Amino acid sequence: MSAVARTTVAAAPPATVPGAGGRRLPRTLHPVAWWVWALALATAVSRTANPLLLFLVLAVLGYVVTARRTEAPWARGFKYYLYLALTVVAIRVVFRAVFATGITPHDHFLFSLPHLPTPDWYAGIRIGGPVSLEALLSSATDGLRLACMMCCIGAANTLANPKRALRVLPGALYELGVAVTVAISVAPQLVQSVQRVARAKRLRAARAHGTKALRGIVVPVLEDALERSLRLAAAMDSRGYGRAGTATRRSRRVTGALMLLGMCGLCAGAYGLLDATAPAFLGLPAMSAGAALCVAGLRLGGRRVTRTRYRPDPWSLPEWAVAGSGVLSAVLLFANLGYDPAQLNPSFYPLTWPGLPLVPTAAILLAGTAGSVAPPPTPAPAPAFARRATTP
Amino acid sequence: MSTPTGTRTGTAIRLPPRAGVVMALAAFLGLVAFFWPFVVAPGTFGANYAPPLIFGALLVLVLCVVLSEIAEGGIDSKALAMLGVLSAVNAALRPLGAGTAGIETVFFVLVLAGRVYGPGFGFVLGCTSLFASALITGGVGPWMPYQMFGCAFVGMLAGFLPRASGRREVLMLAGYGSLSGFLFGFLLNLSFWPFSLDPNSSIAYLPGLPFTEQWHRYVAFDLATSLGWDTGRAITNFVCVLLAGPAVLTTFRRAARKARFRAPARFAARRD
Repeated sequence: MSAVARTTVAAAPPATVPGAGGRRLPRTLHPVAWWVWALALATAVSRTANPLLLFLVLAVLGYVVTARRTEAPWARGFKYYLYLALTVVAIRVVFRAVFATGITPHDHFLFSLPHLPTPDWYAGIRIGGPVSLEALLSSATDGLRLACMMCCIGAANTLANPKRALRVLPGALYELGVAVTVAISVAPQLVQSVQRVARAKRLRAARAHGTKALRGIVVPVLEDALERSLRLAAAMDSRGYGRAGTATRRSRRVTGALMLLGMCGLCAGAYGLLDATAPAFLGLPAMSAGAALCVAGLRLGGRRVTRTRYRPDPWSLPEWAVAGSGVLSAVLLFANLGYDPAQLNPSFYPLTWPGLPLVPTAAILLAGTAGSVAPPPTPAPAPAFARRATTP
Repeated sequence: MSTPTGTRTGTAIRLPPRAGVVMALAAFLGLVAFFWPFVVAPGTFGANYAPPLIFGALLVLVLCVVLSEIAEGGIDSKALAMLGVLSAVNAALRPLGAGTAGIETVFFVLVLAGRVYGPGFGFVLGCTSLFASALITGGVGPWMPYQMFGCAFVGMLAGFLPRASGRREVLMLAGYGSLSGFLFGFLLNLSFWPFSLDPNSSIAYLPGLPFTEQWHRYVAFDLATSLGWDTGRAITNFVCVLLAGPAVLTTFRRAARKARFRAPARFAARRD
C-alpha cells in the first residue's frame, strides 16, 4: 500500500504535489532545528521522574515523528529506539531485583529471590534476596527517564536529514565530511555490486560452498569498490578537489600552536579531575580554556579549504518556532515557577499516585506543537536518490 | 605479492609529527574518558548523568582536533575516495552483524585496512565508518563519540603492528582482531555503566568507592551483561580474519600499488 502510494507520488512532478499541510509548501526543516528541539526536550526530561509526564513526552515524540518524518532509510529507526527504551527499563528493573541491596522496614515486600553467597574477596556484591515494590517502581521510573531521553535522540535521528546535517561540520573537518558523504552515497551501490557478483556466479554455475563461496563474493565486491574509489578520485581531481584556501604559512603555524596548547589544556584539566590534591584551577577551568583554544584552532584551521554551498538551508520562522518550542519547554521545567518542584519527582515514601502538575504538562505539550509548525516534509526522495546512485 | 616493504609503500595518509603529538595527548584523554569511574577524585561531579556527557563532548572535540591535524598534512584524493568507499563497506557490513549473537563485522575491514594503509588511514577509517553507519541507520547519539574513539584507535594500532608476512601476519592480525574486539566491548560497557543501572543495585557505579570495590562491581556488571557478546565478537573476528584475511590483504595491497598514494602538491605564492 505504502509502496504504491510512494510510486504514484514519485511519478508526479513535485510542483503539482499538494502539500500535506494545506497551503504551506513542503520543504525539509533545517536539521539543526530538529536537533536543538530534541536535545532541549531531553534536557527537560532529565529534570523529572514523574511517570505521567514521561509518558506524555513519549506521546509527544510519537506524534511529532509520525507527523513529520520522511520515507528516507534513516527515518524508519524510531521503532528500534522504542524497543531499546523497553530494554533499558527491563534491564534496570531486573538488575535492581537480582543484584539487590536489601529492603528497609517501611517497604512493601513483594517476593524474595534465592540468595547466592559470593566469596569473601568479592565483598560488596549481593545476589538475590528480598525485593520490595518501592525498589522496583523507583528503578522503573528512573529507567523510563533514561528511555525517554534516548527516544528524544531517536526522534532527532528520524526527523533530521543527515546529509544536510553534514554541512554543519566545520571547515577543518572538510575531508571527513567528504569521506562520509562518499560513504553514504556509495553504500546503496554496494548492494547492487553484491547482487551483480552473485548473479554472475550463478550464471557460471559456480558450485563452491563455505569459505570458498564467501571468498568468491567478498573479493570481487571489494575489487569493484576499490576500483570505483580510484575512478571517483579521478573525478574529484578533475573537479578541483584539494584547492587551497586562504590559509597562509603563518596562520597554519598559529593553528597548530592553538591546537597543541588546547590539547595540553584539556590534558591538564583531565589531570585536575583525577587528583583531588591538585589546585582547583587545574580541573574544569583548565579544561574549558583548553576547549576554547581547540575550538579557535578548528575555526582558524577551516581556512585551509574554501567551500561553496549549493542550495543552503534557510533558517526562517519554522526553524525558530521548532527550536524555540523545545528550548522553552526545557526552560519552563527548570524555572520552578507556578508549581511544586516535588511534583516533578514524586516520592515513594509514602507510595502515592503521582500528580500531573499544570505548568510542566503545558510545557511538554508546547514542545509537541513542533509537529504542526514545522513544514510538511518533501515527498519523493526516492527517485532523486536512485538517479544520483546510477550516475558514475 | 606481499613483500615486507609492501606495508611501507601502502601508507595512504602520512602522519605529520604534530599529528603524532596530538594523537598521544588524545590517547591520554581517551583513557581518562573511559576509565573515569575508577580514577576520578570523589566529589568532582554531581550527578551520574553529567560526566558521561562531559567526557562525550570532550571526545568529540578531541576527535575533531586529531582529524583536523591529520588532514592538515594533506589527504590525497585517492586516499579520501578509498576512505569513503571502505567506510561504505563497513557501514553496509555493520547491520549484518548487529543483534546476532555478538557478531561484529566492522573490525574485520578496519584491522586489515589499518594494516595495509597505515595508522593514519586506520584512525580516520574508524571514525568515518562509524559516523557513516550511524547517519545511515539513524544511530547518532551520545554513545557515538565513544564508539568512534574506540574504533579509531583499533584501526590506528593495527597500522603500528610489527612487520610480518605470510601465515604469521594473518595469525597476528587475527589475534589482534579478536583481542581488540574484546577490549572494545569492555571499554564501551564501561562508558555507559555509570548511568545505566539503578544506583541502589549492588553492581551499579557508586561514586567514592575505593578502586578494588568499584572494580569488582564493574566486572560483575560486565559478566552479567556482555561478556558472552564480547566473546562471540572476538571469535568471529578471529575466524573472519583467518579465512578471508589473505585474499582481502592481497586485494588491498594491489589497490595500494595501483593508487600510488602521495601527499597532494601545494602551490604557494612565494616563500617568505
